Amino acid sequence: MSAYVLEMKSISKEFPGVKALDGVDLKVRAGTVHALMGENGAGKSTLMKCLFGIYRPDAGEIFLDGKAVELASPKQALDLGVAMIHQVLHPVRDRSVMENVWLGRFPIKSFGPLRWVSDRAMLAQTELLFRELDLKIDPRARIGSLSVSKVQSIEIAKAVSYQSKIIVMDEPTSSLNSAEAERLFQVIADLTRRGVAIIYISHKMEEILRIADDVTIMRDGRLIGTWPAADLTIDRMIARMVGRDLGQRFPTKENVPGEVFMRVENLSSRLPASVKSISFDVKKGEILGIGGLVGSQRTELIETIFGLRPKASGRILIEGRELAIRSPADAIAHQMALLTEERRATGIFPMLSVLENIVIANQRRYLGKTHLLRDAGRTADARRYVTELRIKTPSIETPIKNLSGGNQQKVLLARWLLTQPVLLLLDEPTRGIDVGAKAEIYGIISQLAKQGKSIIFISSEMSELIGLSDRILVMCEGRLSGVLPAEGATEEQILRLATRFVS
Amino acid sequence: MGAAWKRIAAFSLEYAIYIVLLILVVGIAIREPAFLSAGSLRNILLSSSTRVIIALGSALVLISGGVDLSAGRVVGLAAVLSASMLQIPEYARRFYPELPNLPLFVPLLIAVAAGLLIGLFNGLAVSKLRIAPFIATLGSMVIVYGLNLIYFDQEPNNSQPIGGLRPDFTALGSGSVASIPYIVIFAAVVVGLIWILFNKTILGKNMYAIGGNKDAAKVSGINVDATLIKIYAIAGALAGLAGVLEAARSGGAKSNYGEMYELDAIAACVVGGVSTTGGIGTAQGVLAGVLIFAVINYGLTFIGMNPNLQYIVKGLIIVAAVAIDVRKYWSRS
Amino acid sequence: MRTFTSLLMPAGFVCAVLAVNACTKKPTTASETAATSATPTITIGSAIYKYEDTFMSGVRGSMAKAAEGKATIDFVDSANQQPVQSEKVDLFIAKKVNALAINPVDRTAAGILIDKAKAANIPIVFFNREPMPEDMQKWDKVYYVGAKAEESGTLSGEIVVDYFKKHPESDKNKDGIIQYVMLTGEPGHQDAELRTKFSIKAIEDAGYKTEKLAQDTGMWDRIKGQEKMAAFLGSRGDAIEVVISNNDDMALGAIEALKAVGYFKDGKVMPVVGVDATAPALQALQEGTLTGTVLNDAKNQGQATFALSYVLAQGKVPDQANTGYAITSEKYVWVPYKKVTKENMNEVM
Repeated sequence: MSAYVLEMKSISKEFPGVKALDGVDLKVRAGTVHALMGENGAGKSTLMKCLFGIYRPDAGEIFLDGKAVELASPKQALDLGVAMIHQVLHPVRDRSVMENVWLGRFPIKSFGPLRWVSDRAMLAQTELLFRELDLKIDPRARIGSLSVSKVQSIEIAKAVSYQSKIIVMDEPTSSLNSAEAERLFQVIADLTRRGVAIIYISHKMEEILRIADDVTIMRDGRLIGTWPAADLTIDRMIARMVGRDLGQRFPTKENVPGEVFMRVENLSSRLPASVKSISFDVKKGEILGIGGLVGSQRTELIETIFGLRPKASGRILIEGRELAIRSPADAIAHQMALLTEERRATGIFPMLSVLENIVIANQRRYLGKTHLLRDAGRTADARRYVTELRIKTPSIETPIKNLSGGNQQKVLLARWLLTQPVLLLLDEPTRGIDVGAKAEIYGIISQLAKQGKSIIFISSEMSELIGLSDRILVMCEGRLSGVLPAEGATEEQILRLATRFVS
Repeated sequence: MGAAWKRIAAFSLEYAIYIVLLILVVGIAIREPAFLSAGSLRNILLSSSTRVIIALGSALVLISGGVDLSAGRVVGLAAVLSASMLQIPEYARRFYPELPNLPLFVPLLIAVAAGLLIGLFNGLAVSKLRIAPFIATLGSMVIVYGLNLIYFDQEPNNSQPIGGLRPDFTALGSGSVASIPYIVIFAAVVVGLIWILFNKTILGKNMYAIGGNKDAAKVSGINVDATLIKIYAIAGALAGLAGVLEAARSGGAKSNYGEMYELDAIAACVVGGVSTTGGIGTAQGVLAGVLIFAVINYGLTFIGMNPNLQYIVKGLIIVAAVAIDVRKYWSRS
Repeated sequence: MRTFTSLLMPAGFVCAVLAVNACTKKPTTASETAATSATPTITIGSAIYKYEDTFMSGVRGSMAKAAEGKATIDFVDSANQQPVQSEKVDLFIAKKVNALAINPVDRTAAGILIDKAKAANIPIVFFNREPMPEDMQKWDKVYYVGAKAEESGTLSGEIVVDYFKKHPESDKNKDGIIQYVMLTGEPGHQDAELRTKFSIKAIEDAGYKTEKLAQDTGMWDRIKGQEKMAAFLGSRGDAIEVVISNNDDMALGAIEALKAVGYFKDGKVMPVVGVDATAPALQALQEGTLTGTVLNDAKNQGQATFALSYVLAQGKVPDQANTGYAITSEKYVWVPYKKVTKENMNEVM
């Protein structure tokens, strides 16, 4: 018996024009959490896809429990005890929980030549599985009606049901709130106790230092090294991932909050279970962070301010003057900008070029005397922002879908900066982007505040809220539960406020 | 070597439809060298003219993420409306026996306005009533056909084909200046205007944005409803214009004019690189798509290919063109 | 509020169309006239294969006119779908009409309609599309009124023959062979195939040799006829000596294509023959662009269909005396086609 449950040796994989993996080794001990880290594009996903049988490596060998194996398909990987929990889950939404668990291997009953799926056996097996994992979910519920975290637990249960020895988790906490993440960590601890190895991919350093036993860091398709987590710090990990020292994580505060710019008074949403009589203000040149759990209606708050969701009552005053905002167009006319949480769903136009994505909210600016758009102005502005924000793209004509998440986010920032906003609403601006790009976005935000713009930003990362904001507004279940000065705020304080009204 | 091949492959993918067009022309010309003549070019352009006008309307709607199934029936309605008001006084079976000689532009405007109105209805149904475009325009397609049949079946016409059109009207379809047919000039102007609409106007940019990501368009401050209404209205008016020209060109009109034109137009758009899921497409691509079908229609008859076989060739071209076009987006992602 | 406005849109459009109507006359259709002024005692249920069909609307008008003051005819549209027609016939039977006058969508489906009629003992007259002979034998109260499709082909061939006899110079290359192009209707359509075959047969029977330069389908459609003719002219040019078309719409399209390359002015002519004698075709005869067409006699088909249905509805056995039409094989009334040229066109107008 080998000491390692999984050994990947000298794995290489080349795509047209890119060497995605270059002789990478990965050794995972049974019953441990092995963190896999690296910036986007470092090769983590490619390596895991080789393990899960989605890609076939060009060179290298994979050993499971010391035995060389060929993994040609996800089905084969599952049968050999390798399971993967993807970052974005795609359950069959309109079917039941149990059908999703047993999809592809439904319990079959037969009578003579007749064969049919036994719902009763499926229910019994699911209940047994859930009891074992202490999951309180009705196997007959429609999976589409459940929260992301429950769907994820079901996905983990499914992995367990395959008798998996290795479970790969790709950014499992990216759409969970802190309480849900805590529960996930308990499940992980439980699984490792049973001897299951977890390969854990995450950008969240604190998380990794807390739960990982070993950490492997990759950069540009190469292995940088594997260390015991106990020997690492956040700064050391970042330095090894980026290949340079980023200095501080957050930029030094240079912005000086001035007088009150916007006041929100008793704002309530017309939708049920949404924002309820919220009042706050934001000053010129201030960065106001908004914290809270998933479901605290933070997104709803800023989207209501932006005119994207209907408000029932309340006033929005800018420099003392009340505004009537009925649509995003009204908000834009009042020099507001909104970077939405779901970059793919409500941000980018995937097929359109970087150029079009940058100028789309700002077309009128380029109308010539003939009422036609002038290309010279459009390309000049796009080029300027590509340079200023250091957007990595082959050209401004490249479709935005070909850019990395961080660069897409910078394009969206450029779109809004071009409208010359005085108030920016940023919803999870650094979600799902790598550390290098994160640092750059922090820099841009801080720079904007320094220019006197007001910034409201939502984040689920406590360190980000504390490190970047001047004040932190915490919400719970649609209500305002408190405002803290960021200076000296602790994660515990925020968490306490975030759960203030939870019954 | 490898890099050169890759560049050639990328080039062929990018310009696949134009290459297909070229292959078709060359293939037909090898079979029948007489095909390469000014007359052929003229005939192909003539039959492309009305179709490209309809196809551009369909392209507008497709790029915005919708579909317009009513276009063909609007062609029929506009053809019948305009023809019914533009017959010579001495024609034996006039649609309106007592109608005085109207100025040419009046019936034409009525017919185009009818198309615009139907487009407006489609746009309102899609945006304000939130009916899926396929269903909304399927509904208007049937409604328009019914209206046309009622109109066409009136006394004294009783569903007779409308003939005896005024020479000033038919001249629009068959006349020419400096041996360029008027109708080709009309089509060229429409192609030019639509190109400008696509590339140089806010409406055009918003159309791409809505087709690419409707929610993001809303967040970006685009008035999605107003944009959609305008787009459907323009598409309707274009179909109306095409119907008028179709009547002028053929010197007559019947209620079944334009039947299935909407599908021909969608096929031409798709072959020309317009995505049926929205957000992608160019005016020049649509023109190439229309030309491909015109070359097939004309060229295969020219070489005397069995008509039944022609259907199969057309179907294969549609499938092949789209298969190539899809690869274009694969290779980049 | 906005929703309300959008609902008004279609209504607005209907008004606009009707307003265009209203500026000249009140819309009244022939069938409505028949329905309102008839005595209510006898009702005939009639299903037309497709309402918009030009020829069938002529037959329909003629039936309605013949029925005035005698019977009520309920006309329905089968929308060119046999299942729709079958449902309509069920409806007529449920309504207990006195006779059925059916223009089948699919001639092979007539057998089922006959079974239904027989079970309800309602006499049935088919018209314009002939059921299979074995179906016609299923019951004695089944009749057919129509024209012999091949006759339309034969007559159009004869028009070509007459023309070449009168204008021997039309054999442009003096080879004694008639070089023709043929525009056919929808592939698989019985009329299209018979007209194509018998027009050529008639020419050859008259002692001429023929050579087919090109043949393609114009789908009965004027624009497609025009485009196909343009292609023929492109590839065959002045070698073409005559254009034979399965219907007038395509013939008129071909004439447009011929005009575009300089025919019909400065003495350059091309004989073009069609079938149907539609109003625009008669206009073209008048202008001298169309050489001839063949009248499928809608008026007589309509009258004969009504006459037979009316006699049968009264429970009588139809004969030449009570219908005015000769009945062959006890079941068939053949309405002849007519050749129409500029000389006799006034007879059919």
